[in-house]
Amino acid sequence: MTNRRPSCEEAAHGAPGGGDGGQPLVQLGLPTGTRSTGFEATRRDVLSLMGFSLGAIGVAGCRAPVQHAVPLPAASAEMVPGVPNQYATTCGGCSAACALVVKQRDGRPIKIEGNESSSLTGGGTCAAGQASVLSLYDDARLRAPLWMGNPVSWPEMDQHIRTALGGHGDAREVVLLSQTITSPSTRAVLDDLRAAFPKFRHVVYDPMSLASLRAANRLCHGAAVIPHYRFDRARVVVGLEADFLGTWLAPVEFARQWARRRAGGADASERAFHVQCEAGLSVTGSNADLRLAVAPSELGRFAVALLGAVARRLGTDPPAGLDASALAQEAPHAAAVDSIAGKLALNRGESLVVSGSDDVATQIVVARLNALLGNVGKTVDLEQPSWQRQGDDAALPALINDMNRGAVHALMIWGANPVYDHPDGAAFRAALSKVALTISFADRRDETSAHVSAICPDHHFLEAWGDAEPVNGHFSLRQPLIAPLHDTRAAVESLLAWADRPADHRSVLRDFWRRALYGQTTPAAGGFEEFWERSLERGVVDIPRPPVATHPFAGDSEGAVRDIISRGRANRAGADQSGGYELALAETVGARDGRHANNPWLQELPDPMTRLTWGNVACIAPETAAALGVATGDVVALTTETGKLELPAFIQAGQQRRTISVAVGYGRSAAGKAGDGVGANVFPLARVENGVRRYSARVTVAKAGRRARLAPAQTHFSMEGREIVQFEHEHDQAHGDEHEKLPDLWRERLHGAHAWGMSIDLDACTGCSACVVACQAENNIPVVGAEQVRKSRIMHWLRIDRYFEGDGEDARSLHQPMMCQHCQHAPCETVCPVLATTTSSEGINQQVYNRCIGTRYCANNCPYKVRRFNWHNFTASDDFPYNMTSPLGRLVLNPDVTVRSRGVMEKCNLCVQRIQLGKNEALLQRRPIADGDVATACQQSCPTGAIVFGDRADPDSRVSKLLAGRRAYNVLEELGTRPNVSYLKKRAPEGST
Amino acid sequence: MKVRAIVLGFALLGAGGGLIARGATRIGVHQGYAPEQPIDFPHRIHAGDNKIPCLYCHSGARTSRHAGIPSASVCMNCHSLIEKQTTEIQRLKEAFQQQRPIVWTKVHNLPDFVYFNHSQHVVSGVACQRCHGAVERMDRIEQASPLTMGWCLGCHRSEAHVPTSTFARVAANVRNRPTPFAGEDCTSCHY
Repeated sequence: MTNRRPSCEEAAHGAPGGGDGGQPLVQLGLPTGTRSTGFEATRRDVLSLMGFSLGAIGVAGCRAPVQHAVPLPAASAEMVPGVPNQYATTCGGCSAACALVVKQRDGRPIKIEGNESSSLTGGGTCAAGQASVLSLYDDARLRAPLWMGNPVSWPEMDQHIRTALGGHGDAREVVLLSQTITSPSTRAVLDDLRAAFPKFRHVVYDPMSLASLRAANRLCHGAAVIPHYRFDRARVVVGLEADFLGTWLAPVEFARQWARRRAGGADASERAFHVQCEAGLSVTGSNADLRLAVAPSELGRFAVALLGAVARRLGTDPPAGLDASALAQEAPHAAAVDSIAGKLALNRGESLVVSGSDDVATQIVVARLNALLGNVGKTVDLEQPSWQRQGDDAALPALINDMNRGAVHALMIWGANPVYDHPDGAAFRAALSKVALTISFADRRDETSAHVSAICPDHHFLEAWGDAEPVNGHFSLRQPLIAPLHDTRAAVESLLAWADRPADHRSVLRDFWRRALYGQTTPAAGGFEEFWERSLERGVVDIPRPPVATHPFAGDSEGAVRDIISRGRANRAGADQSGGYELALAETVGARDGRHANNPWLQELPDPMTRLTWGNVACIAPETAAALGVATGDVVALTTETGKLELPAFIQAGQQRRTISVAVGYGRSAAGKAGDGVGANVFPLARVENGVRRYSARVTVAKAGRRARLAPAQTHFSMEGREIVQFEHEHDQAHGDEHEKLPDLWRERLHGAHAWGMSIDLDACTGCSACVVACQAENNIPVVGAEQVRKSRIMHWLRIDRYFEGDGEDARSLHQPMMCQHCQHAPCETVCPVLATTTSSEGINQQVYNRCIGTRYCANNCPYKVRRFNWHNFTASDDFPYNMTSPLGRLVLNPDVTVRSRGVMEKCNLCVQRIQLGKNEALLQRRPIADGDVATACQQSCPTGAIVFGDRADPDSRVSKLLAGRRAYNVLEELGTRPNVSYLKKRAPEGST
Repeated sequence: MKVRAIVLGFALLGAGGGLIARGATRIGVHQGYAPEQPIDFPHRIHAGDNKIPCLYCHSGARTSRHAGIPSASVCMNCHSLIEKQTTEIQRLKEAFQQQRPIVWTKVHNLPDFVYFNHSQHVVSGVACQRCHGAVERMDRIEQASPLTMGWCLGCHRSEAHVPTSTFARVAANVRNRPTPFAGEDCTSCHY
């Protein structure tokens, strides 16, 4: 035994016993340096034992590891360590440009919330939006501009580019290829650029294009716009291949509108009837009253049949002179068509038909339907349109031609990745070499920017200034939440610098608002400065804009109908001959169009319709799979005219039997470590036809002769006769009455000042999964990777279970968010040997991480299977190269929530950190906590308001009122767990028993 | 002889075991920790002789979970005017002029799995000295209290009057007293 007194440093890492340096001091076994010949304790052993313990006491005076506190050199009034700030901004996750309020701690944004002041979104967010905070801290982001692949400084880059651009007044063509720009100030900057570059052209490109809808509106109403849809004003909604609750156009806003007529307070007479026609299963289809499986090639005929039936009901001329029943014969689901038409006709001016079809003729028929039904100006607002998609399908192929001709001198690519997501991507890449100067503003070396001369990385939207006008007259501002992490520069600043009008983005933004928009508002007492400060704080501003000039329907619907019928006949003939299938490309809530592929939160987000993670699959109907001899997991080869792909098959009841649906946004090769090689890229398999981009194609399917392993978060989809998701019945009683009947072995548990509870409205929950990502962001939930997901070790505290009801094409999908139910008689608590889980005086089933020793008995006993165990040290292991092991990625962690280590159980705790902060706020303000002060992360992110959290001990709280209603029930009530989380029964779909 | 040896052996083992147990339960307890700081700041002169209120410098304690260590600019509020110069004050002024953050060694540390919120305690009227000891008499800051869970619960149980529902009723009858919520619930501090 050494006699020397260990130093502080050694105390942490060296055992005084000697010989086993590196062992932590906590090891209290006999020091291995002791000589022990037998069981007898020799005098020397006793002394060394005493010496060791004395040493242990002695080193208590030291501290290891040493912690430091480093205050800012100059105190900031705005930033108090430990107190979050919130700033309003605008999301950049897609072109819907939802208004956000972002929580910032110690100078960095860590949590995204919706902006409740927004008249469009009302505070909701989507999964991709919630996950965008992580993409700020993405290691794959470039840290400096690259010229010919080498990092340079901005002045050097500007020098290169100015030289290459060759001066102004130049007649050479400068093209900006960008995604939809909803920012009015940026559009003004682009207008200015035309002065500097006379032959400046702006090509707008959307990977998921709505160009056909715009083209149809131009033909029919005189303006190539996308209308602002008002689902909340419709009593009958017909969706034709438009996943408006999941991914189409503005899902957050549409979900909120839709829920107003479907859920919660919507009484029976006002409740909207929703029909959805689609090929594959989508979030929207799963929430419809009636879902019809319709192949993309049949969609036009269905719309035509619907038009004929509506015309007949309304007594107007039959389209193209074709009798309604004749039209119906051409269409699928003929029987349903008439009934839907009847409902539509009864609700003139209060119905809505939307379509995401890529076929202009179909869109013309839909426009005719809306016009006939008197929806224009009511549920279809063309005069105050949406600006959220402005892409034109023909523009990119034309650009490629121009590039190949050598007509384009300089090409700037902003927010677009056509090499990856356009069918002509390979041609585009080849054409890049024919352009003298190619510039990309991409934040990484992606599939497109890897082939340009200059990458001038733009800021992440959380680092940037800006604005957005998603819908005419509805503005939203963007302000930085953090100074740029890397040496990036706003694209607007780059453009202005090269046009010899250097300016910083903030000034440009302010000047635009002062010049162009402030004059149209009510002047503030403090002038523009006051208006500006108030607007930045609020985040959203509604300024009336002049309406877009449109005229009543004047499209050639007759021609469209005839076109669709003849194509339909040709199609059927062709299909009968070749027996081929149709490939349908679909956008999912997690992957979207692929731009977020390197975001592990989104890769691990189980798709609400397949419950798969980390990859896409070929969804096949059961009958089709049987005919092909394919089982789930068998790899199939899909071959279209333009491409070939191999993907694992996934049998999906409800899939239209002649179609195969594949999610886009996968198969990236240059997204980053998390996204590369995950899934397969289906974009090349559909093509641009006659200037219209298609999202479906004829496909042949063949078995590839091997299997692949999927990473499902849920493998069993049947409720097995238990009423886990319940529907309303007429004889439903108020919730409390049923309780009395169940015998109870436990004493009634008294509660403290509060009794926290939650209500989840299954009617309002669409399955969009924004809550799942919000929970992950708020609670520092690790990403585990595909391999662990396969072992059922996914760590999400909140999951959205998907159950099937019925089978075949008519199968209904039901979504149910499931998290810890906070049972008052929790089965998990009674079996914990160390009492690491107990119920608090306020009803929360609390998990104490530092007490947990990892027996996992609690997870075993939990009937809801909501407890997650940390099988690995996700923060320190190379096997998990995600945000928790990266110094940059760790910046997103919430400092108010413990980061759990290996060996510890975790689960939903009803965001107790938010409850404690809410109570603290009330305490600081010397008032009792009020209903609505505390919102859990899942509640706050939900676009439809399905989740309501509150105090059950307060009879006036929203949650108390909901739980007292007839619709409230508990899952697996018969087990007697008495959960504090209740669900509101789904209303039975109209027309069903 | 042998019996005496055995008895002595047991006594020593008992003593040794007791010492080990005491050592074991003191792991992570750093009462008496008084590390050297980059600037030898004496609270005795500032909080003691000059009676500067704790919250003047550690203003975070009023609104935040962290009391915080003041930025050099707070020190300079006075020291830009005071003529007195020592080596320590010189170090401060140099750091401030160079806008170099001062790397203080944190004395009071709680493990990651504990959530402690200063503002809750400050606004409930708990005096700083209650937990931090007689700081105004310290030349070098020392951790005066063990800061163990048991020690915290001692106050929570005796003075903060749990269960909360009982106190809520009592407090409601007493005007101008904020309603405390110092629970004995695990999730009061562990989440």
